[in-house]
Amino acid sequence: MNRKLQNNLFYASVGIAVFVCSLILLFLFGIIIWNGLPALSLDFLTNTSAEFGASGGIVYQIFGSILLIIFAALICLPIALGTAIYKSEYLKNDTVHKIINTLIYSLNGIPSVIFGIFGLIFFVNILNMGISWFVGSIILSMMILPTVTLSTYQSINSIPTVYRESSSALGLNKWQVIVQVLLPQGFSGAITGLLIGIARAIGETAPIMFIATAFSGVEFPSSFLEPVSTLPTHILALAQQATNPAALQNAWGASLVLVILVIIFSISALFIRLRHQTISKR
Amino acid sequence: MLGSTNKIGKYYVYGSTLISAFIVFLIFTILLINSWDAISIIGLDLLSFKWNAATGEFGILPMLFGTFVVTFISLLIAVPLGIYTAIFTSEILPSKYRFVVKSLLELLAGIPSIIFGLIGIAFFSIWIQDIFNLQSGRTILTAGILLSIMILPTIITLTDDAFHHIPDKYRESAKGLGLYKFEIIKEILIPIAKPDLKAAILLAFGRALGETMAVMLVIGSIDKIPEPIYNWLSPGQTITSKLGREIAETSFGSVHFSAMIFMGLLLFILVLILTILSQNSLKSSNGRLYE
Repeated sequence: MNRKLQNNLFYASVGIAVFVCSLILLFLFGIIIWNGLPALSLDFLTNTSAEFGASGGIVYQIFGSILLIIFAALICLPIALGTAIYKSEYLKNDTVHKIINTLIYSLNGIPSVIFGIFGLIFFVNILNMGISWFVGSIILSMMILPTVTLSTYQSINSIPTVYRESSSALGLNKWQVIVQVLLPQGFSGAITGLLIGIARAIGETAPIMFIATAFSGVEFPSSFLEPVSTLPTHILALAQQATNPAALQNAWGASLVLVILVIIFSISALFIRLRHQTISKR
Repeated sequence: MLGSTNKIGKYYVYGSTLISAFIVFLIFTILLINSWDAISIIGLDLLSFKWNAATGEFGILPMLFGTFVVTFISLLIAVPLGIYTAIFTSEILPSKYRFVVKSLLELLAGIPSIIFGLIGIAFFSIWIQDIFNLQSGRTILTAGILLSIMILPTIITLTDDAFHHIPDKYRESAKGLGLYKFEIIKEILIPIAKPDLKAAILLAFGRALGETMAVMLVIGSIDKIPEPIYNWLSPGQTITSKLGREIAETSFGSVHFSAMIFMGLLLFILVLILTILSQNSLKSSNGRLYE
């Protein structure tokens, strides 16, 4: 075949692919906004749900989702910080480093539904904690652990060795160097990782639907061992009664709220990353 | 005093690393122990075609079949579409727009899977139903198409990165020799980026295998291999959709439960192998985490 023709054909197929992808992107966001906006109102955001979600609002669901991710972040942060510091400052052996990396990547790759059945067996049945939001937080913290660890590790590891050497020369011991010199710098990496992790965790349904949530009859929990209702599981319950237009309408509203929450967390992560980059360039 | 905080700090970092490393083993052990009943009682009958909890038949082949067919359809659509689009974003689009493209992709990747499920129920299954004149649009094909959209951002982002890491001198010298853009990409860039492309596809493969919510809502949930086997316009079942639908209603400790956990274990091992393969294939071991 003619070379020029081949080249043009190639450009044409690239054009088609890009067109299809843009169409998909437009369609998805168009649908979410178009269907979600009519359902949104102040009442929807501040009322409790009624008639199995077909009317009323989603205030408990928003509260449940936020509660889950806040505790997930609190549980995850100390462990991720410790692991990152160990990887960056203590670990000298290359083989061990590779093994730990493989384990972290594996943890990141585990499908979310596996976390769900693991939580169901281990926490709900073996440890007998019952269906509770705290178990959900623990499971979500496991899911975001790799993201937070690697993000923290990168920012600690990218601090030039000069800082470590000069602070040691001033008489600080290893732990003081870590706490006073490295952590303040590394913290922004941890926060970025946490925000990215949270943006992912808040939309997860499969890990928490057996272990942390109930659909109806949920109020603000008064202890650690009570179920809550969350946005994703609420959408799931409403989506399963897809024949009822009122329920579907509320499902779209809840979806838009969920997407907005995800975007808020992603954008904050982006801003922190960009700000930190400009500071370290100075 | 100073010495003791130094020591406590050391124990703290050792401890947290142990916890991080321990989680994967813990999950594996728990799954293995709980699927042991199924392995010892049902044994090789697990590899049969019939799943009927009431009569004690637990054949997982329909679910395995569903999982692989759905994943195959999604890769068939998403890989060419994703690679062509990534060629556009990295080789044709001026690089000042790269930030915009990356942000859009991240936005797309951030849509929770339950919302894809909702879109699948409200639109895709109805379209499939109308186009092919079916009783119900919840089919294996619907799940595959939906899944292809979900893994598209992963493929585009990773492929775009792979091309972007190739130094410009390759492109310039090839252009100097009079090659067309198509020839530069086909003969030079793709061979260089090959390990990264492989990693991208393996990662997308793993992600597609483990996707639950969206697939569960649109696949129809029938534990049968379709008749004939290539009739993908009939409902099916994947491992994940089976787990998602049934595990909460199964009593803990029964053989039924154990057979379900066995499927989970299988999925866990499959995805683990894919993850490790793809990380090994990823040359740029810059510690970045690809989800």
